[in-house]
Amino acid sequence: MQHLTEEQLVAHYYHDADAVTAEAHLATCEECRAQLATLRSVLALIDQLPIPEKNGAYGEEVWTRLRWKLGSERRRSRVWGTISAIAAALALAFIGGMLWHAGTQQSSPAAVAAKNTPSPAAAAQTASNSSSVVSRDRLLLVVVSDHLDSSERILLELSNADAKHPLDITSESRRAGELVASNRIYRQTAARRGETRIASLLSDLEPVLLELSHAGSTLSPDEIASLQKRIDSKGLLFKVRVVSAQVNGQDGVTKAPPKGMDSL
Amino acid sequence: MTTDLAVVSRARSGDPEAFRMLVESHSRATFRVAYRMTGNEHDADDVVQETFLRAYRQLRHFEERADFGTWLHRIAVNCSLDLLRARSRADKQYGGDPESAELAGAAGARSEAQQDRLMISAELKTQVATAMKRLSASERTAFILRHFEGMPVEEIGKTLGIQVSATKHTIFRAVRKLRESLEPFVRSTPCNT
Ligand SMILES: [Zn+2]
Repeated sequence: MQHLTEEQLVAHYYHDADAVTAEAHLATCEECRAQLATLRSVLALIDQLPIPEKNGAYGEEVWTRLRWKLGSERRRSRVWGTISAIAAALALAFIGGMLWHAGTQQSSPAAVAAKNTPSPAAAAQTASNSSSVVSRDRLLLVVVSDHLDSSERILLELSNADAKHPLDITSESRRAGELVASNRIYRQTAARRGETRIASLLSDLEPVLLELSHAGSTLSPDEIASLQKRIDSKGLLFKVRVVSAQVNGQDGVTKAPPKGMDSL
Repeated sequence: MTTDLAVVSRARSGDPEAFRMLVESHSRATFRVAYRMTGNEHDADDVVQETFLRAYRQLRHFEERADFGTWLHRIAVNCSLDLLRARSRADKQYGGDPESAELAGAAGARSEAQQDRLMISAELKTQVATAMKRLSASERTAFILRHFEGMPVEEIGKTLGIQVSATKHTIFRAVRKLRESLEPFVRSTPCNT
């Protein structure tokens, strides 16, 4: 007589098998019945594994921890909405500025013609471009300051992470991914404006953000340690704070528009 | 839960008070799933947090006719699975955990000598926990979903992203490992092969 295999017994226990065949055999085979009894006892042991009982206040505790995270998430998505709108405007304004700049420097026949016979339209264009340079500078400061705030939060979370355990960075990784794109635009813009301090900070920041954005959902202890080392060795957190304070100071002087610039 | 329906719909429209009510009424059930899956309280607490965070982000994808508890349960299982997988990747990097296997062997030999039921029941908790730790992330998930949650094999396969036959085999491997670890602790039967 062919006995039931271990696999068949397990399937039988969970009612995942051809019940008739297994039951017919079990009815006649003491050995397989004994095997099944052992299996039942083992699985019954596992049923006894206690689950710590949480008291009635647990839900409230969970909410208290959670509320803070949800709050920062909502703020972040608002700030990000604003930043991406400004970044898009900035990029457009910047490209527009470059084209205009190139046009006047290269003295193309059309530009020469325009210079020789200054038309009211050309004069108006020049005026609007010079005023847009001023407002673009203010924009750069505002967006860079928000950008540095967001980056600082991520760096802080990483620096404070316990490098002994793997770390879930699903949300940090996503945020870093969003920041990489804007970081690139700001770095290039800052470099072209001669804002070397901001440009150099942003170019230190970029590889860390990039690495984080590619890290997936979890950082192993090794990866945490290596990122922490990089943040430390460049004094990145400190620099971010210094430049952030500097930018905020300039921001005040130039009387930048208030941060809620959703109209842009 | 029928009362969930109105609350869920308020939470979906951005009412934080409604979301708070959902968190408070589902925290303990979510913890129980998370604890079974992760096997430790600290991880389970983290999974509960992550579950509600994901639920909050995905709330607009939740179909109002579905059961909120079931939906949340699935998120909790996935969060736990992510954690177990990440943990096992990290363990591999650090060369596994030979200590716990050794511990299980030693304790097994001891308990055969001692038949004091109280001693055994105290020890059993550790034994069962240790036996569960020997399971891989997929084995543990498949086993818990089948054994405790009574989830059909097809559903478990979808959760793990594997075929039905592979799922059955994963459940079987889990049970075999558990049996290997725990059989010394159950009264031995005369017909052991
Ligand atoms: Zn038989």
